[in-house]
Amino acid sequence: MLETAQWINNYFNESTDAIMIFKDNELLVSNHMAKELQKELNMNPKYLLEIADSSVKQKFSPTENCFNCIIQNKMKQISIPITLAKNMPHPLSYFMIYNVIDQEEHVFSLTLKNRGTINRMDQLAQQRKLTQYVNRANENERKRISEDLHDSIAQGVYSAIMGVRRLSDTTMSPEKLSQLTDVIQSQLNDTLTEVKRMALDIRPSVLDSFGLLSALRVLSKRLQENSGVTIDVIGNADTSGLSNDIQSVLYRIAQEAINNALKHANANEISILLVSHDHFITLEIIDDGDGFNVPKHQTFNGRSLGLMNMNERVKALNGAFSIKSKLNEGTTVTVKFPVA
Amino acid sequence: MNLEQTNDQFDYQTLVNQIYHDEDFDFVGVAIQSKNPPHSIKWSFVAGNTNEKFRKIVLRSGIGIAGLVIRTGKPFWDNDLTEYEYSSKMYTPIANTEHLHSAVAVPIVETPSIVSGVLIAGYHSNIEVSNETAQKLSQYL
Repeated sequence: MLETAQWINNYFNESTDAIMIFKDNELLVSNHMAKELQKELNMNPKYLLEIADSSVKQKFSPTENCFNCIIQNKMKQISIPITLAKNMPHPLSYFMIYNVIDQEEHVFSLTLKNRGTINRMDQLAQQRKLTQYVNRANENERKRISEDLHDSIAQGVYSAIMGVRRLSDTTMSPEKLSQLTDVIQSQLNDTLTEVKRMALDIRPSVLDSFGLLSALRVLSKRLQENSGVTIDVIGNADTSGLSNDIQSVLYRIAQEAINNALKHANANEISILLVSHDHFITLEIIDDGDGFNVPKHQTFNGRSLGLMNMNERVKALNGAFSIKSKLNEGTTVTVKFPVA
Repeated sequence: MNLEQTNDQFDYQTLVNQIYHDEDFDFVGVAIQSKNPPHSIKWSFVAGNTNEKFRKIVLRSGIGIAGLVIRTGKPFWDNDLTEYEYSSKMYTPIANTEHLHSAVAVPIVETPSIVSGVLIAGYHSNIEVSNETAQKLSQYL
């Protein structure tokens, strides 16, 4: 029992929250953190007490016109946002929690929780979600490549092998033989096309050797052939000064935006504009499709490579990203990057 | 373009028109592999098209019902073409641009073992296609 009391005492003293216990509005006991704050910030417990007191009065005041009161009154504790060290270079944001310990004896506690920590936890949770999503996307990509390798490439090579095996049949007439070689040739041709397509999908080598504009042209030509939708690339931008990271992000965003337009928008025509200005470069992907309600899709849904991911990638490189869309009026995706 | 190719073209356009008139299909099309490199396969002859998007499509071997016909040399049909997403292996571009709900595709063979093209016919509505439809279509070739 004694030991337990000691542990509770330790916990109280070493808590990262500043805890103060009052009796009849006099400070009874405070933990290490509270003493530290008192010393360093010249924080007066009486001041906190007044704040708590006024907010308690506010809570029970019938004149206050507050919609949240129903929720507030149900809370056993009262939480008050408070900023300490206001006139110092780094103000500290806290939540002050007023908690009644013993009503009859008028004993209550005030706890200061660092708001920075809470925000940080929120950020961390968001980050975890994002990491999880990136991992999953990574794994899915691998799965897709593996399936493609197995289904198209391996199959193509296998049937070519079977064809070559039949070539050794000596009883075949010359006409049959030439037919068979034609078949094998066309099989290998198909496989070669497929290998090239996969290589392009994974990472376009054009991007590294001929720059962003050429890469966008190749991409749009291929997607046009796959969909029948007219995709134009307009631009005169010189992208040789752009970093590889920015070029990759611009390429991926164009790819994602076109894919979105083809998948969901029912577009007839998609235009890609890459224009360089004095100290910035802009990429616009404009489609004439169905359009959509942007705010509805802006939240992170953890499954698709959503708008948030595009936004994050651009932000990470000091760019700006925006989507304008209205139902039945098409969609415009704009990305802007500063250029030195 | 030589005389033989112009002859080919004439034949297929007539064939497509004939099928479109004789049967109740909403769309009929023929894709033929080009004789010149890069030997791409395009929808060169169509009837009942609702737009001009077909001109831009280049058929990919093994992708969609038309692509599967090219790869395997066997007829294929599907009654739920609108179900496939753009990234799906069964996504058939021509079905999407022409809003085909069901369609059947049969191979056009040059010599017994070389598939040089594909003949497709389909419906905008929920009309079912089957092996019989494929056989009926093959009769025209």
